[in-house]
Amino acid sequence: MAKKYVHIHRLRRVYTWELPVRLYHWLNALVMVALIVTGFYISNPLVISSHQEASNRFVMGWMRAIHFIAAYIFFFNFIFRLYWGFVGNKYANWKQFIPTGKFFFKEIWQVLKIDILQLKGKEHLSVGHNALAGFIYFFTFIAFGIQSLTGFGLYASMSNWWLPKLFSWVPAILGGDIMVRQVHHWTMWFFILFVVIHVYLVFYHDYVEGRGETSSMVGGWKFIEEEAFQKDQQTAPDRRVLTDEKK
Amino acid sequence: MSQPLTYYDEMKNKGYSRRDFVKFATMMAAFMGLERSAVGQIAKSMASKPRIPVIWLHFQECTCCSESFIRSSHPIVADILLDQISLDYTETLMAASGFQAEEAMQHTMNKYKGEYILCVEGSVPVEADGVYCMIGGKTSMQILEEAAAGAKAVIAWGSCACNGCVQAAKPNPTAATPIHKLVKGKPIIKVPGCPPIGEVMAGVIVHLVTFDRIPQLDALGRPKAFYSKRVHDTCYRRPFFDAGLYVESFDDENAKKGYCLYKVGCKGPVTYNACGVTKWNGGTSFPIQSGHGCIGCSEENYWDNGRLYERASAFAGFGIEATADVVGGIALAATGAGVLGHAVMTNIRKKDNIHMLEDEGKKEEKELDH
Amino acid sequence: MSKRIVVDPVTRIEGHLRIEAEIENGKIKDAYSSGTMVRLLEEILRNRDPRDAWAIVGRVCGVCTSVHSLTSVRSVEDALNITIPPNAELVRNIMYCTSFMHDHVVHFYHLHAMDWIDVVNALKADPQKTSALAQKISKWPKSSPGYFSDLQARIRKLVDSGQLGIFSNGYWGHPAYKLPPEVNLIGLAHYLEALEWQKEVVKVQAVFGGKNPHPNYLVGGMACAIGIDDVSGINAERLSLVKSILEEAKTFIEQVYIPDLMTIASYYKEWGSIGGGLGNFMVYGDLPWNGYRDASSYKFPPGVILNKDLSKLYEVDLRNDGDVQEFITHSWYEYKGGKDIGLHPWKGESKIKYTGPKPPFEHLDMSQAYSYLKTPRWQGHAMEVGPLARVLVGYARGREEFKDVVDRALKTLDIPASALISTLGRTAARGFEASLVSQWALDFYYQLVDNIKKGDTRMANMDMFNPDTWPKKAIGVGHAEAPRGALAHWINIEDKKISNYQLVVPTTWNASPRDSKGQLSAYESALLGTPVADEKQPLEILRTVHSFDPCLACAVH
Ligand code: HEM
Ligand code: HEM
Ligand code: NFV
Ligand code: SF4
Ligand code: SF4
Ligand code: F3S
Ligand SMILES: [Mg+2]
Repeated sequence: MAKKYVHIHRLRRVYTWELPVRLYHWLNALVMVALIVTGFYISNPLVISSHQEASNRFVMGWMRAIHFIAAYIFFFNFIFRLYWGFVGNKYANWKQFIPTGKFFFKEIWQVLKIDILQLKGKEHLSVGHNALAGFIYFFTFIAFGIQSLTGFGLYASMSNWWLPKLFSWVPAILGGDIMVRQVHHWTMWFFILFVVIHVYLVFYHDYVEGRGETSSMVGGWKFIEEEAFQKDQQTAPDRRVLTDEKK
Repeated sequence: MSQPLTYYDEMKNKGYSRRDFVKFATMMAAFMGLERSAVGQIAKSMASKPRIPVIWLHFQECTCCSESFIRSSHPIVADILLDQISLDYTETLMAASGFQAEEAMQHTMNKYKGEYILCVEGSVPVEADGVYCMIGGKTSMQILEEAAAGAKAVIAWGSCACNGCVQAAKPNPTAATPIHKLVKGKPIIKVPGCPPIGEVMAGVIVHLVTFDRIPQLDALGRPKAFYSKRVHDTCYRRPFFDAGLYVESFDDENAKKGYCLYKVGCKGPVTYNACGVTKWNGGTSFPIQSGHGCIGCSEENYWDNGRLYERASAFAGFGIEATADVVGGIALAATGAGVLGHAVMTNIRKKDNIHMLEDEGKKEEKELDH
Repeated sequence: MSKRIVVDPVTRIEGHLRIEAEIENGKIKDAYSSGTMVRLLEEILRNRDPRDAWAIVGRVCGVCTSVHSLTSVRSVEDALNITIPPNAELVRNIMYCTSFMHDHVVHFYHLHAMDWIDVVNALKADPQKTSALAQKISKWPKSSPGYFSDLQARIRKLVDSGQLGIFSNGYWGHPAYKLPPEVNLIGLAHYLEALEWQKEVVKVQAVFGGKNPHPNYLVGGMACAIGIDDVSGINAERLSLVKSILEEAKTFIEQVYIPDLMTIASYYKEWGSIGGGLGNFMVYGDLPWNGYRDASSYKFPPGVILNKDLSKLYEVDLRNDGDVQEFITHSWYEYKGGKDIGLHPWKGESKIKYTGPKPPFEHLDMSQAYSYLKTPRWQGHAMEVGPLARVLVGYARGREEFKDVVDRALKTLDIPASALISTLGRTAARGFEASLVSQWALDFYYQLVDNIKKGDTRMANMDMFNPDTWPKKAIGVGHAEAPRGALAHWINIEDKKISNYQLVVPTTWNASPRDSKGQLSAYESALLGTPVADEKQPLEILRTVHSFDPCLACAVH
């Protein structure tokens, strides 16, 4: 059977995810899992009928402690990432997430067509996030914000520190803690769904494109098609981006 | 008619001396964080003031706020009514009815313009031009507007006045509206609860009378003194909560042991009230102490934010069965199925591409071998 | 020529009641009773969890607080066929008695007394004489001359201040006040004492229900677990608190309320022939001694009396379509089937439609709808419900306790039995039953202790608490004898949700507008013939209306 190759790529190693982004990512993944697990427990604790005295046990206490510690890490990590969106390389830049022009939506449509609906057409080749991924991370960041606001809003009355107290207006706006807690809880589900789809898509891209997507968030390097890299550099050059050539 | 009695007169009548009076004023100044020089002023203002006139309006309500008020044990209500304020209008207790009652209110509104405290119990229905609550042929909207105009400050008693309470629960057929949405430009003290604790109500009045100022309010307009802590933070069952020991079902072994009521729907963790500390009925008990979870009666929209016996929040628009986790679980299953479907589709639709990549790899491998 | 007078707001009641009356020759010729506030809670109950209904309907009223919650859990338990443990029944009974005593005493002193007691006139009393009189009528210890003179000084100070507060603009000096200054002073003293007492008696509800007003109830039983060896449950400390409060309550009712009632009544005997009204009385019955399902064990026996005929009692069947029906001919509602039909509450509707004049207005148009109350009827008859109905039915049933207390009172006052059906009789009946209930409360208490002693510590039956165990459809009705009379809630449950919930409330029976046949309800009919000495001062109207202890938040809900 004769095979017709559309194109054969020359791959170039590109240092897409800088160390701070990777550290941020895995720290975030870790605390997110911790927050979801402890959040679930807080919302619906298991009943362990025990004959021990309450004073010997602190199950919910620990769950909450972990939740709050993780929450602080999550929050500062998130703040750090926002900062890095202004000083990091182009793949970390805030413009990757917020639609700044028509091309952004065009690319989203492209990705939707090829990757999600799997229609026939020209493969989309991006270097950092593709526009759809970036756009979804944008929502993820908004959800991070919501979760921080509602979380610290709830936490404000339990804390004497000024930082959580900064958020005491949140319950006032939503009409009290009941509503804040509900929003906090619903938003958790956004993250659960996000993680499932997100991890799947990472593997998907690796499988379909073979560019080392999965490991890229560990080592930072991706295998990028030469044309794609050139095009990317032409449209928005960032000389700081390392490649195997410069190395 | 003779001159109204002043605080000084009151104290004199009770057998206190002028010296006692000044001492009291000094103490009060310290309490209020004022300079020593202000003592004279306080003493003077107290020595020349009549009892604070109060108009207490009743709209869409069940009157349990009034009922709760008369249950205050410190101070007892008789002392408040006879010595501290002049309750010139309240439909529940006043002797006069009809024309005479309305006249008493008018009299206070005119004579003490800008000085009287307006208390409101109940919400105001604004649907159908307000005909769902009428008193003396006027709507509650009209009465509130008139009475608020000359008030020095407004106290919104109970959840009805603060957030509409039951009658504002979905579908709120009469458009029951809380006071702060209707009265503008006046200080409003919200004292939520269904009802508020009697001693808390009395405490707010006493604060106004003795310190001659509005208590410190939180972001939602409630006096911090009584509403800055969650019931959960002052609940004596909290060690069981922290330990992870919960009542599973009413009257089970754990209930008899007094474990935490979180899993049978306690709203203490989201409810700001003084119940755990002040307790009810002169410190006799409070809901949780008597085995039932807090229902969140001092919180906004507490009737529409989840059912009494479920912890998890109901998901609006999905029927009463659907809690966030049920909806979330379904979404998760759907996502899983979607992902699976997508993966299968990928292997069909993108077979060529994937094979191509594999071939490409093999080819390159070969090239390298050479 | 007749003259229309308006009393609105009627004060010293719960809620928003408007009375319009035609006066002719110093007497009321025609009267109209209108409820002018509506919340439409029946609509709000729709689609909610039946287990939550007690909390919502509890908020129908904070004065007869808890009786709606009780009725609600009974209706749900009826629909789901749940039998509650005996302890729960006893606790509910004790809470019921507590609220009952509270309501009656507060009504007598704080809502009704100023119709009979002239506060300002009390200043003329001689403390010595007052003390002597007080000691003659009761052994209540607070009765020294010094006590009364201190009180008098306090009231004088208030009056002198010119700021009369709740006493402003009262009808002081009205010719219809007949009490000597000493009795006025005693009444006033006890007004203040009752104000202190009432906050104590409700502590019983706080013990079991966590708070009052609006204590907590539970479908299937009560939430207050018994834990005699635990600091958290109902234990010996909690029980003795209950016991001591109930004993003090009984003492107050016996030594203060009843003597005051009898003394004041003895000066107003003419009110034994005013305000009789319908002569039809209805009682659903309450205070089960042997489980709610066994009506024969009720301390308040059920029954209907027609036309003042105590020799024949009829039975009420709340499930029967033709027994209890609600009409809206003169009410601001509309039914799908038109304005003139009656609906049994299981098929009840609550669609509001205001057709009255645009406020502000002077008068309502009585030929049209004129109230937010519906008009309930029993087999087409207008009914009076409440203390008088209960006392008469208990009497007609031949219950010794009722005969005892009624006969003794009639003898003391030296009035005929017929004088019971009157404004005075209604007010007296409230006292009679308060004294019965104060004893029953203790009986129930001892029964509870006995039960626990025997090792029964169950407080709730949770077998059917999970909605998954419910049938797809169920209907139920729960009833109670509220302080103001016969109360019932009808519930329809469908798919674990409330599909319809209807309350027919004592004050709805008593204060409703007339029906399509022009039959008056209890208030309107009792007002007929009431004398009015001064059209500008409606004191006598207040007496008769107050004798029913109106609760309009209840009536309209
Ligand atoms: C709790 C779990 C996780 C969360 C919350 C999470 C979140 C995120 C977020 C917010 C980004 C955007 C990064 C940025 O530019 O700042 C991202 C990117 C990425 N993540 Fe994760 N992640 C999770 C787990 C994982 C796992 C398990 C993998 C790999 C096995 C992974 C691989 C990647 C990769 C490769 C990218 C960049 C690819 C792209 O732009 O689509 N993530 N992730
Ligand atoms: C993405 C991250 C987060 C997730 C998934 C998450 C999840 C949850 C969940 C499910 C609950 C239980 C809510 C319920 O009762 O239904 C909860 C409670 C709570 N969370 Fe978070 N949360 C996150 C971040 C935060 C942050 C940043 C804070 C900030 C302090 C925070 C503070 C709290 C607090 C105070 C509570 C209430 C705990 C209590 O009252 O005992 N959470 N969280
Ligand atoms: N009418 C009435 Fe009630 C009573 N008693 C209740 O059912 O007062 Ni509010
Ligand atoms: S807040 Fe609650 S207790 Fe107060 S009047 Fe409203 S319904 Fe009654
Ligand atoms: S009973 Fe309620 S308020 Fe008390 S600790 Fe448990 S959840 Fe908190
Ligand atoms: S229900 Fe209300 S009374 Fe207190 S414990 Fe909860 S705030
Ligand atoms: Mg009804």
